[in-house]
Amino acid sequence: MSKHSALNTFGRSGNPAFTKNFENTEAFSQSERMTLDGAVNKTAILLALCFAGAFAGWNVPELAMPGLIIGTILAFVTIFRNPAKAGSTAPFYAAFEGMALGGITVFAETQYPGIGIQAIGLTFGILASLLFCYKSGIIKPTENFRLMVFSATMGIFLLYLVSFIMSFFGSGIGFIHSNGLFGIGFSLFVVGIASLNLVLDFDFIEEGAERGLPKYMEWYGAFSLMVTLVWLYIEILRLLMKLRSR
Amino acid sequence: MNAIFFSLLAVFSLFIFMNLGKIKASKKQMDRDDRIKWGRNRKPNVQQNRDGSKIIEGQAEEVDEQSNK
Repeated sequence: MSKHSALNTFGRSGNPAFTKNFENTEAFSQSERMTLDGAVNKTAILLALCFAGAFAGWNVPELAMPGLIIGTILAFVTIFRNPAKAGSTAPFYAAFEGMALGGITVFAETQYPGIGIQAIGLTFGILASLLFCYKSGIIKPTENFRLMVFSATMGIFLLYLVSFIMSFFGSGIGFIHSNGLFGIGFSLFVVGIASLNLVLDFDFIEEGAERGLPKYMEWYGAFSLMVTLVWLYIEILRLLMKLRSR
Repeated sequence: MNAIFFSLLAVFSLFIFMNLGKIKASKKQMDRDDRIKWGRNRKPNVQQNRDGSKIIEGQAEEVDEQSNK
């Protein structure tokens, strides 16, 4: 029996677009292949667009809700559409999501001054330290690691979805939003899982560059990193708000 | 003071990301047998032989004729 029978049953990747693009890489010339430089530069472009969007959202907080809705739609379009077209949707995703983050940060700042820059510093701090741990081989992602992170991410997603649906009926899952020990512990767990998703993104980009995937996968890798960073930032902001409200 | 510290942390971290991100990961990371197999076929690799029999990679077992008798 296979050591990773669960992976064989449920699939190797949480993202359906990842699998099909690792096949048939022979047909591309060197200049048409994915590189680490390209993926990092495209991540920088998406970050710059996100900051520009956040600047707009900061000054006009009413843009937060449309930014969040359009950004979420664009994220799903990018994930489930052909990854070759990620370059056309990912920049818009970054800009709209930036608007949402700008508005959310203004809301948080009015309640707890200085919380925004703390969340930004911690998000990028985690990004850099995990990148160092990954590159140096301190953290070694394996199939079991991926299965664990993917399962936990799906669990959190389902919990948020149930909580969101319950909120329409005037109810909800209380401990998710509480500032008690359990609520803070839950937030810490979610921040941990979001951080570990960064390691999976690094590994995907590294192997994509090593195996010479097509150039457009640079955009896809940058997009997946961006999605994780946005999630991580929101969760860190939530955790800091819970801590400050005690 | 807090704001300055976290601003510097963000800028320094971004600088590290921009530089370290472009460097290939260490051999310790890349030369492993238990790396994640991104996108590789999740069904076992079945090869068709000339005589029509199939060998499933990783599931073949050596047959000991003595023990079968």
